[in-house]
This record gives sequence, C-alpha cells and structure tokens, in this order.
Amino acid sequence: MDKKEEILRLFPGKLREILGQVPGNFEDIQEIRLRAGRPLLLVKGNEEFFLSLSGKPVTAIDRAVSITASQIRETVEYMGSYSLYAFEEEVRRGFLTLQGGHRVGLAGQAVLESRPGAGYGQIKTLKYISFLNVRIAHEKKGCASKLLPLLQDSGKIQSTLFISPPRCGKTTILRDLIRLVSDGGPSFSGMTVGVVDERSELGACCQGIPQNDLGMRTDVLDCCPKADGMMMLIKTMAPQVVAVDEIGSEEDFRAIEYARSCGCRLLATVHGDSIEDLKEKPILKRLVEEKTFSRYVVLGNLPLPGTVLQVYGRDQSLLYGNPAEKRTEKRLAGRISL
Amino acid sequence: MKAVGAVCLILGASGFGWHLASLWKQRLALLGSLRQLVYFLKGEILYSHATLAEGLSQAGRKGGGPFGELFLEAARRLEQRDGTPFSQIWQEEAGKVKNLPLAKEDWEKLEALGSSLGYLDISMQERTILLYLEQLDETIRFLKEHSRERCRLYMSLGVMGGLFLTIALL
Repeated sequence: MDKKEEILRLFPGKLREILGQVPGNFEDIQEIRLRAGRPLLLVKGNEEFFLSLSGKPVTAIDRAVSITASQIRETVEYMGSYSLYAFEEEVRRGFLTLQGGHRVGLAGQAVLESRPGAGYGQIKTLKYISFLNVRIAHEKKGCASKLLPLLQDSGKIQSTLFISPPRCGKTTILRDLIRLVSDGGPSFSGMTVGVVDERSELGACCQGIPQNDLGMRTDVLDCCPKADGMMMLIKTMAPQVVAVDEIGSEEDFRAIEYARSCGCRLLATVHGDSIEDLKEKPILKRLVEEKTFSRYVVLGNLPLPGTVLQVYGRDQSLLYGNPAEKRTEKRLAGRISL
Repeated sequence: MKAVGAVCLILGASGFGWHLASLWKQRLALLGSLRQLVYFLKGEILYSHATLAEGLSQAGRKGGGPFGELFLEAARRLEQRDGTPFSQIWQEEAGKVKNLPLAKEDWEKLEALGSSLGYLDISMQERTILLYLEQLDETIRFLKEHSRERCRLYMSLGVMGGLFLTIALL
C-alpha cells in the first residue's frame, strides 16, 4: 500500500473522493486540516494550500471546498472506527492515533466534570468536535544515521534531547534513532530500548504490535502516560535506553531522574527553539542545569523538516552547526507545489 | 392407487407440520446463540474496552455459527476501512444471513442494534446492548413458554389437515 492509499483510508466517503484526486503521492504531506465551515487545507513542507471540489490545489478561497460540520462528525466517527467509547481518554486529551501512527488533533467544546466548590473541573470529553488536524506520520528509515556518530561516545549512545518547534521532524528522527540504537551496527552493538509511546506515534502499535520498525531489541509500552510508563519499563523490562516523545511535565522530570539514577540512557524530544528557550521553562531548565542529557540536538524545518541545526554536548559546547542559525518560520499560504 | 395417494397426502401434510415445529425450535436455538454472542460482545466492549471491530471479531470467533460469521464479516469490513459507515456494513452483512429462520421482528431488532452500536460513550454501549439483550430475552422466553404447545399444534394440524384433505378428496 503506498502512502497516498494509506492516508486515503483514514477518511470516509466524500472527503476520500476529494483527497483521492489530489495529484502526487502524499509523501511530503505533513498535515490535513479540517474546520467546520472553512476550507479544506493541506500542509506540505512549508507551504499550505486549499483544495477544490475536484481535488485540485487552488489559491482562491472562493474555489476551495468547504467542510461541513456533519462531514467532520462523520470523519471523527469513521476515524474512531465507530468506537469512540474505546478512545475516551484520547478524546479527553484531544487526539486520536490512527493506524500507521498518524495523529488527529481534535478541538471543539470541552465538557467539564463539575466539582462542587472546586471551580472549573477537569475536562471530561469534547463535544461538537469541529476542528481536526490530521498529522501524517512519516517513517523515514536512515534519517538519523548521519547524526548517530555525534550522539555516541566510545560506541555508546548518549542521553539525547531533541529540541524543535512542531513539524520539524523530532518524532521521525527519534523513531529512526531508536531503530538504529536497538539494531546496532558494525561498529557498535545493539542495546535494549524501552519506548513509552503515549500517543502511539513512535511505534504506531496495532493491537500491541508496532507497525513502524523500532528495532529488534525494542520493547514498547503503548498508550501509557510517559511518567508511569518509564517507571514500569525500568522495573519490568530492564532497558538500557529509555525513549519518550514530547516531555515537559513535572512527572516526566521525576521519571527521567529515576531512569537516570537507574543507569539508563535517555532519548527524548521536547518543544522549543533552542537550549536558551528550554532554560526559560522551570522544569526543563532543571534538566539542562542538572546535566541530565549529554547531547542536545536542535532541529529546524528549512530547507526540510528534520534539518539538524546544532548539536550540543553535556556542558552545552557546540559539537555541530552554527549557533547563530535559527529556524525561520516561512509558511507561504496559497503557494502550490504539488 | 387411492390408498397410496392418501398416504402421500397425509405424510406430506404431517411433514409440513413437523417442518413448522422445527422452524420454531430453530428460531429458538438461533436466538439463543445470538444472545450468547451479544453477551461476548458486551464483555469485550465493557471490560476490554475493545473497538467494535475487535469486539465483533473476538465474539464471532468464540461464538461461531451463522451469527458468528456475521460478526466476523462485519469486523473484517470495518477493519478494511473502505469508507462505508458501520450501520450500512451491519445491514448488508445481516442481509446475507436472512435465509435463517427468524421472524421479521427479529431482523428488525438485529438491524437496529447495528445502527445504535458505537454511538457515544461506554455507558451508552452498555445500555444499547442491555436493551437488545432484554428484547432477545423476552422473545426467547415467549418461544420457550409456547414451544411445547406450538410444536404439538403444528404436528397435529399437519396430520389432521392431511386426513381432512384425504377425506375431502376421496
């Protein structure tokens, strides 16, 4: 099954028909955005464009096909395999992970649990879901192979933190790095990797079996909160390396500290622009100050997502790249390049 | 010749009566197996939080029989993701086993189950399935309670009808 067919299978009826007529093989499509009463929008590389009813990329908004609320409702039900009850926790947290590791962000009206005397309650679920962001997962084998030597010391992988804003390829690079570390190579032996895949984006597990290649020595704990998952894996699966995507909470920090104290190497990603950016966030600042990670990799999306801008060492010394280079946001609405 | 004809007529009419009685029993057995499958499905959905496709597949495999096939085929098509809504898949697949000796009302209830499953949250699934099980239980109770009298009635009517026709035609 090619990429286009795989992505089309995520959509029901009419939307599948429109997207099916889009030229190209969808290899570079990053996001498909659906908003009730708004035009269907595709994001490819650093560009975004609308689609006409016949699936043709258009620049004029009046020629773009508009998405209805009922189409969104039908799409959500279809994407949830008519079993949204089984994804209550995911819906509560605002996303669904689909087969192939593609993630759908959901937004609508939050239903809060009423707690007398406690002000606003916690989010119970989402209703009137009217906004969908389908983020396409890309498994790019070998994309981290050039980076790997920079992350090793005497043939051993070092604890590494990938830093970048969204859509810069953090997860894709982390996934490939896990595979490389797990499988090993001619100059280094493979290591046991424990992956806590909270949103099923790394392994894209289907009934517990990873659909993406995470290597032969990798154990995956799917759909599990990162902090609890890290603790569980360390206690039960004895990983040499623990990998998690998008850390940031206090609980994550505690679990990372625990993993470090157990002698595990860490591979993690975090949202941010630079190490300086991390230092401005209280929890992440502690990670940098306490030298939890021995490598920091800053990623950008120019010319392509996954571009390594800088690699820093444990003491924040530059190992690769130009420290002045910054990722520059350059999305050109309406530019068509399919 | 007349005697042979009379015997054939009586045997044919009795056979028809026996056939009706057997349909009654078959309907009872089929609804019983369907109830078991729906119980399996309930377990899969409520306790394993399985998706409809997983639940139908597991229940179909465990339960077997013609309705097991219906469950498995509906699950297979759901997993195929060909863009068809579940209610339509269910109706189409239920249509394929309509040769089974069930009453019109049984089919209507079964099809209604397909259009309500998967809607809203887990407690809604529970209510939908429990409602269907309640309806099934009522039908099964009625069939069981009247099984003996109906079977006797069909058999006797068959024999009596055969005798009556024989006498009338002689």
